[in-house]
Amino acid sequence: MADPLADIDRALLGQVFEQSISKPVTAEQMIRYAQACGETDPRYLEDGPDLVANPTFAVTLRREKFVPEGVPRDLIYRGMDAGKDVEIGVHVRPGDVLTGVSTLHDIYEKTGRSGKLTFLVLRLVVENQRGEMVAVIDQKMMFR
Amino acid sequence: MTSQRDEPASIADLDFGDDLRPLRLTLEPEQIAEYVHSANQVAPRFLSDEGGQQDGLPGQIAPGNLSLAIFSRLLEQAAPGAQVQKISATFRAFVRPAVAMIASGVVTDVEDRDGGKLFECDLMLETEIGDRLVTGTGTVFVAL
Repeated sequence: MADPLADIDRALLGQVFEQSISKPVTAEQMIRYAQACGETDPRYLEDGPDLVANPTFAVTLRREKFVPEGVPRDLIYRGMDAGKDVEIGVHVRPGDVLTGVSTLHDIYEKTGRSGKLTFLVLRLVVENQRGEMVAVIDQKMMFR
Repeated sequence: MTSQRDEPASIADLDFGDDLRPLRLTLEPEQIAEYVHSANQVAPRFLSDEGGQQDGLPGQIAPGNLSLAIFSRLLEQAAPGAQVQKISATFRAFVRPAVAMIASGVVTDVEDRDGGKLFECDLMLETEIGDRLVTGTGTVFVAL
């Protein structure tokens, strides 16, 4: 099978293809997300001065684009979601405004018993309004 | 989500090679749907069996981000009040509703850091009959 990533211009690597900005995060959003995660830790569930968001809350940042211009938009539906790496920074608190910057971070190949696999890594860096790192999320897509 | 947690114990008592207390859980279809709404990740495959089947899947599946949240809960259960710093997950099979699962982990490294200890762990989410669904790693800082 032809490499589905062969035509992707490697010059796209590292270039920002989307910047998304959230509305101010509310306590209700944070608590709803924590409840949906099955959390029982009061830090994430009880409204008040000590409330912080679940460490994975940055994944909730709404985005419009999933791949850069020049990459077929349906590509992510043709690959397998191979995994995610999340580096977690400062806590999200009510009132925070999150900014996410998306880049095509890496394209690499691995060869195993089943043949060649190609991986595409999309990176989302999320910061708060003070420029503090909230999360760096690498999503790995795998193509046979 | 129905889940059962053992009594929390301090991760500070754990050492290289020790097991984290397992987290037993079963995701209900409604809870997966609620998660994707709260995470701004709404897609038919996450909402119903019909939606999943339209995408060629066996039925409704849970998004990978929910597996990250489960790993986060597992680490926090072992280290109440600690700071989860990194989570990596490799998706090996679909996480589906109404399947009894066990999230487990083992401490693979312990380092002294300023003001505390940094624990690295191997993590796994599997069905009760031992089918591996998600494997990964986690890093958590415990202030001492």
